[in-house]
Amino acid sequence: MDVVVKQYFDFPFMWEHSGVVLAGFWITVQLSLWAGAFSLIWGLILALLRSLPGRWAKPVRAITIAYIDVFRGIPLLIIILLVGGSLAFISVLPRWLRIPEFFGYPEVFWYGVMAITITYGAYFAEVYRAGIDAVPRGQIEASRSLGMGRWATMRFVTLPQAIRKVLPPFLNDYTALMKDTSLVSVLGLPEAVRVGRELQSEYFNASGLILGALLFLLFTLPLARLVDRQIKKQNIRFQRAP
Amino acid sequence: MPPDAPLLRLEGVTKNFGKLEVLRSIDLEVTPGEVVCIIGPSGSGKSTLLRCVNQLEPTTAGKVYLEGEEITACKEREADVIRRRIGMVFQQFNLFPHKRARETGPLAPETVLGRRSAEADERGRALLERVGLSDKVDEYPERLSGGQQQRVAIARALAMDPHVMLFDEVTSALDPELVKEVLDVMRELAAEGMTMLVVTHEMGFARDVASRVVFMDEGVIVEEGPPAEVLGNPREERTKRFLGLVLAH
Repeated sequence: MDVVVKQYFDFPFMWEHSGVVLAGFWITVQLSLWAGAFSLIWGLILALLRSLPGRWAKPVRAITIAYIDVFRGIPLLIIILLVGGSLAFISVLPRWLRIPEFFGYPEVFWYGVMAITITYGAYFAEVYRAGIDAVPRGQIEASRSLGMGRWATMRFVTLPQAIRKVLPPFLNDYTALMKDTSLVSVLGLPEAVRVGRELQSEYFNASGLILGALLFLLFTLPLARLVDRQIKKQNIRFQRAP
Repeated sequence: MPPDAPLLRLEGVTKNFGKLEVLRSIDLEVTPGEVVCIIGPSGSGKSTLLRCVNQLEPTTAGKVYLEGEEITACKEREADVIRRRIGMVFQQFNLFPHKRARETGPLAPETVLGRRSAEADERGRALLERVGLSDKVDEYPERLSGGQQQRVAIARALAMDPHVMLFDEVTSALDPELVKEVLDVMRELAAEGMTMLVVTHEMGFARDVASRVVFMDEGVIVEEGPPAEVLGNPREERTKRFLGLVLAH
């Protein structure tokens, strides 16, 4: 029993190495914030492209749907390897894209942001779409009857309601995104998991990884509670609606 | 435009949903200041007719003119511009759940007319006062009764200074005791000279307020005329039968 505790829950070991693990987790947090923000924007763009009306936009819709289906169907790890391992060698691309170094982050950080955005943008696009579809037709008709065009209706009537409706699935997907940032460790980014693994192979002790896991829970558990609260709130509201 | 020219003119308006003919070549004119009430059994096409006027429902054939401009021939963006002059109130209110009463009216004037927000806000509040809701300006729709919601919806439509108002069975979803407060607002509007096209089951309202009553059945106008004639002394058999059923209870 002692062996198990020593291997996984060696608190003095955790304490001793808390500095590097915390530094690693701080990178995880930043990665998930940047990637989350870009994914939200990219997902919205995809959702809007997908909802473009009319015949002339048909190819745009088809391409968007294909994109969403393809990138939801490919493991994020492959995208990370495709971007992180090879982008630097595509010499036709501008340097800032091949070797991105914005705001003092190393290029592997941005490769991670790009790969996560590519994949999670597709997920978020579906969430947006579910929300947009859930807004009653009467809302759009009321807006159009006031002379508001398609875009103004989307911007001021449909989207604000859609986003409120899909807040819980957004938070769920964001939790998944945060956990998936650990995959960027394969590129050598010293985030929480990478640091934990290095400690494990150096000291043959997994407590560093456990500490990383605990830090994840610090963020993901409140998010899960928040989702529950949000759903409950919406149910009450739904019951009160006419 | 000559003063007695029709504000609204429908020429051979036809609407099919697949094989179903909902409207069969409807002709109708509404002159400024007129209140035209459209009555008829459910499924007769009255709501569809109203929705064809502002092209929420694209017509299959026929033309709709507002103040001489053909809205049916318009591109989508041009139709958006013409729609600003056509207010509409819906059976299910369709208020924006994320907007307080005082934010509801100014939304369209600010976004499509580019009106300054202070100006639009002031006008919005004045309109809420006009429909008797100055004490509800800060409420969201979910905190308002059906009658109050419908009055906010009327204020919302008026905020665009429409030249004609369409009312689509606006009291049908209301509890009986809330019908009057909405009809009273509509009566006032009519008295102030607003041009109105009203689809309704409120025969009392039609009798008192309408300048003309139109009876529709199966997608055609069966009979039209002053309320006293159409409601009091109908010529057509179908009108008599309908009125018999409606007024019986």
